[in-house]
Amino acid sequence: MSMLVSLRRFAIFLLSMTPFFYLLQAVVRLQAGEWNILGPEPGRAIVFFSGSWTFNFLLITLMVTPLVRYAKQNWLMTHRRMLGLFTFFYATLHLLAYFAFLIEWRWQELGKEVIERPYLLVGMLAWLLLIPLTLTSTKNWQRRLKRNWKKLHQLVYLIGVLAAVHYLLQIRSSWFEPVLYTLILLLLLVPRIAGRKRL
Amino acid sequence: MIIRKHKRSDAQPSDITSHSSYLNRRQFLGQTAALSLAATALPAQAIQTHDTTRLQKPEWLAQQVAAAKESKWGKGESLTPYSNVTQYNNFYEFGTAKEDPYRYASKLKTDPWWVTVEGECEVTGRFALEDLLSQVDLEERIYRLRCVEAWSMVIPWIGFELSTLLKRFKPLSSAKYVEFTTLHDPKQMPGQRSAFSTIDWPYVEGLRIDEAMNPLTIMAVGLYGEVLPNQNGAPFRLVVPWKYGFKSIKSIVKIRFVESMPKTTWAQLAPNEYGFYANVNPEVDHPRWSQARERRLPSGLFKPNRIETQMFNGYEEEVASMYSGMNLRKFY
Repeated sequence: MSMLVSLRRFAIFLLSMTPFFYLLQAVVRLQAGEWNILGPEPGRAIVFFSGSWTFNFLLITLMVTPLVRYAKQNWLMTHRRMLGLFTFFYATLHLLAYFAFLIEWRWQELGKEVIERPYLLVGMLAWLLLIPLTLTSTKNWQRRLKRNWKKLHQLVYLIGVLAAVHYLLQIRSSWFEPVLYTLILLLLLVPRIAGRKRL
Repeated sequence: MIIRKHKRSDAQPSDITSHSSYLNRRQFLGQTAALSLAATALPAQAIQTHDTTRLQKPEWLAQQVAAAKESKWGKGESLTPYSNVTQYNNFYEFGTAKEDPYRYASKLKTDPWWVTVEGECEVTGRFALEDLLSQVDLEERIYRLRCVEAWSMVIPWIGFELSTLLKRFKPLSSAKYVEFTTLHDPKQMPGQRSAFSTIDWPYVEGLRIDEAMNPLTIMAVGLYGEVLPNQNGAPFRLVVPWKYGFKSIKSIVKIRFVESMPKTTWAQLAPNEYGFYANVNPEVDHPRWSQARERRLPSGLFKPNRIETQMFNGYEEEVASMYSGMNLRKFY
């Protein structure tokens, strides 16, 4: 039984790393001379790619509880923490890629940009809120915080909303993808919040 | 998706076309006898800029483009590689992703092509492109192109001054503006069929008459010494190098002389973000991003090619006088 769980955990880990490995090989090939592999703006492509995967993992993580509850896929619960941690992993990658490739660590400019572009502020706030969730994701902290742990981790709903706003604020003309992500998010969040009110 | 697959035909960093190797290429293309000599001296991809399988070439236009003269514009600028110029485009008629135009534009039929001229001018009517071009001498103009999204390229256009064309229609004194319209044909343009686009087709752009008559303003029919690829606005497009790229409207089917300011597409869609003038201006930010700097493409990963944006995209000397006394913060 535990053998099966370990195998499954390993498989999910590898699958979750796939987007990262994809980026890694692209960057290696780029540095080796295939300058056009990520298009003429490789930095921007990496920021977009890691951003999309952050949102994907956020949605996947939020899907675990309804799948356990309504589809009785109880085995998934064991892996929710890892999926949540991958959300943080890709969010951090997204943020670092933005710092490194788009603003080149010019902190003065960062301060100016963040204040002037609300979507950056919203995105960074979402990343900051992921930190306490990441730190308290262990069994140990779960025990220590008792009932407060669940309350704390409901911050993920707010993080989801911030991520959606971060994405929606960047629409130029094509609204399909940001709106699709937002709708899926709302589909996952609204029943939870509505359900809580009834209690 | 954003991530592109590598193709064998893509150029290597050492092959990024320099101005001189491009001019060499132009020279030897006309001299088949010298081909082997030149080919040994140049990296293969710098020479092979074109993709003959994709280019639709009406013979009359190809010949005219090949005969284009050089001009003083843009000497010494390093050119953005052909692959980037032709595979990284904003042409929402074919989709909103940068690679969509390259992917979907090849089916657009650009010959024969008709242009309707109407409004405040003496000569109106529907003209074949061939006739419009029959009296013009084409020349090469290497211009900087600055997109409102804060990236930029350097492109060797083949074209002619718009003023020479406009004068033939004898504009009346009531013609204060010129309005241009892109082809509207959802059958050929998948972006116009998309239910997810917020643009009210057809795409419309415009210039004040003095801007249209400025010697810097050209109509392009080619780039890199060849006929325009469809994704770059074939067969006939505007190039206004001191304005953000969206002003340089592509695949034009209508030119209209008008008395009042045209209702241009982006200015209608998001008036607080895009103005009618849309002059490149590092001091006036877009509400959602800074315009002080730009990414000159291709941009490296660890050494992003970020440069300061210049007032009027560096064409201040040629155009600034048209805006003297105007508050450019208000008329952005």
